[in-house]
Amino acid sequence: MLNISQLKIAREGKVLCYDLQLDEGKILAIQGVSGVGKSTLLSAIAGFVTPMDGTIEWKSKRLNFLAVEARPVSYLFQDHNLFEHLTVMDNLSLGFSGDAPKDDLIEAANQLKVLDQLEKRPGELSGGQRQRIGLIRALLRPEALILLDEPFAELDPETRHLTVKWVQKTARDQGKTVLMVTHQSEDAEQLADECLILKGAASTL
Amino acid sequence: MRVAGWVSFFLTTFITVLAFQGLIGFSEQGPDWALLSDRYFHSILIFSIKQALLSALLSIVLAWPIARALYYLPMLPARRAFLALCLLCFVMPTLVLITGLVSLLGRSGVVSPLLIDVLGVDWNLYGLNGILLAHIYLNMPFAVRVLYQQLKSIPDSSWKLSLQLKFSRWQRLRIVEWQSLRSTALVLFGFIFVLCFNSFAIVLALGGGPKSTTLEVAIYQALKYDFNIPEALMLAWVQLLIAGGLFLMVSRFGRTQWLSVDTARDDWKPIPTGWRLWLMTCSYYVVWGALVLPVLALFAGVTQGDWLRLEWGALIKPTLITLGLGILSASCGMVLAYSMLSPIRQMNLLVQSRRRVMLEWLATHALVAPAMVMSVGLFIFLLPLVDIDRWGIVFVAILNTALIVPFAIQKLKPRLYQFDAQYNALTRSLKLKGRQRWTIEWPFIRPVVLSTYGLVLVLSMGDVAIFSIFGSNDWATLPWLIYGYAGTYRIAEASIASIVLLSLCALILWLFEKVQTSHA
Repeated sequence: MLNISQLKIAREGKVLCYDLQLDEGKILAIQGVSGVGKSTLLSAIAGFVTPMDGTIEWKSKRLNFLAVEARPVSYLFQDHNLFEHLTVMDNLSLGFSGDAPKDDLIEAANQLKVLDQLEKRPGELSGGQRQRIGLIRALLRPEALILLDEPFAELDPETRHLTVKWVQKTARDQGKTVLMVTHQSEDAEQLADECLILKGAASTL
Repeated sequence: MRVAGWVSFFLTTFITVLAFQGLIGFSEQGPDWALLSDRYFHSILIFSIKQALLSALLSIVLAWPIARALYYLPMLPARRAFLALCLLCFVMPTLVLITGLVSLLGRSGVVSPLLIDVLGVDWNLYGLNGILLAHIYLNMPFAVRVLYQQLKSIPDSSWKLSLQLKFSRWQRLRIVEWQSLRSTALVLFGFIFVLCFNSFAIVLALGGGPKSTTLEVAIYQALKYDFNIPEALMLAWVQLLIAGGLFLMVSRFGRTQWLSVDTARDDWKPIPTGWRLWLMTCSYYVVWGALVLPVLALFAGVTQGDWLRLEWGALIKPTLITLGLGILSASCGMVLAYSMLSPIRQMNLLVQSRRRVMLEWLATHALVAPAMVMSVGLFIFLLPLVDIDRWGIVFVAILNTALIVPFAIQKLKPRLYQFDAQYNALTRSLKLKGRQRWTIEWPFIRPVVLSTYGLVLVLSMGDVAIFSIFGSNDWATLPWLIYGYAGTYRIAEASIASIVLLSLCALILWLFEKVQTSHA
């Protein structure tokens, strides 16, 4: 279980407060108006933001003082997910402790219709294609907690539907716990088991 | 890597401390502060600041329209060759430039009679005229490159927006162009000021007398003619304080915006027409001519007989020594610079501005420390400990390495900061460490590393000041040979040796440019 308790984060003069529990293998959609602290929560779980107070626990193990590299987290940022000077395939192969599961990556690229793009550089891809490449890597990395920040923002309705289904199936099959920031209620309804709506300075599930 | 960084900091600082300790320990006296109220000191200080201010200001003011011409007129012929020439001018060994300028504008120079006819007064290259000309020749092309690069980083979206908002030319200049150049221009001004403030060979050769003496030359004179260490120390502290203080201030307040050059496109930038187009094109050609003339003048001073008479065998050994020393210093300098940038990058990521600026200053302090004090101080310190006749060449390499580190740091830093800004979170999130992280970082920084290596290699090959203290004729380098020829009025030989050295520098820059673009 992911257990976030009495978490307080200082941001631009405000104190953001979080409390939530999420069972393993569940998908949580996080919604709320811009600036309310959705991405900040993901950054804190990943270790990029240091909280003032409170705890972040995963399977009863405290993550607060662990370095980014030591947390069981795979994070899809809002942007800058790909190294512009490497090919798409090289980008996909990063973040695996041993050899990357090339077959799985290629199969996923095929399912998400980006198979033809693997030898290109990210600069040659559209926004939607870049996002799907980032998603494939984030989901297939051997980490238990998947953090997705606006993962479908740049996709057209048809590709969006396809990608949402792929994320749902992959997460279920591999028992991943997913936290996803989204502005689209439709994504939350299709994909999430639970929904957290952040309001003002403090929020609870 | 961070440990290697701190060790590198220690090594470079240690050399400076030893050098100052050498001078202080030898005289057993502190600096002669009574000189502060001396009129001679005031005149040196005022002249040092005046020439550096004018050199920096004129270099930037003249570079700006040329950088704009390069940016707004992509159809200008030979733009790449021009930018390569700009780099060559910046790293041109000062003795080569001085030989070229004297052949062109000296008492019996090719252009001097023309100048006297046009100006109607006696033209004299020696004094402030010559110093400014040489400093502008070296630094204006560098400013052109920096400002052009900065203009290129204006995002396409800014131009689109300015068009959509129907900006006037003045608004475009003020809101788009100036905003992009402002902080860079300030840093550039400080950098050129410091280079000119500490200039030695040019002021010594073209100063023409005590009226045009700078602090660096006065230190040299205090040590060489009077061996007056308290005076030299006092001048050195003043120089360190002014140049160091200004450099620290500029590092603190001058910010450069690291826009993503990789994704910047320029489909929407405005193209000048009419008289503006004509003016920009003309200024481009005029500067082309001005930069090429001193190089051509080297050839004009050499007859066919001179080429045939020269013993080419005498040039081979100095050429090989120059290359060998350059490669050694450049390689060590690059390793030191990259290591020292490791803790600096860490502080940049942690937003510890004050500590970062202090470390940056420490890493580049060799730029503001008087080279003469470094060489002479270390010489005096080592004299009782080491056989300098035998091992002097090693210290030429060590001091050359210390002096090129600031240039390597200045050039590597922006690209590494850009990598950190774009990819630090991602590399950490993907848990990339050590060799794996390096394999990601290397392709990103490779073009800059290669061009920086070429730059510092050529810079270290041009040294004559350090060699004059530690070198010996057995290990004579090409610049030292030129100095010897010029000192005995063998101008044709000096010109030929200058042509060889300049060709070597141009070849190196061209080679590194080629390797860099083939890897891009």
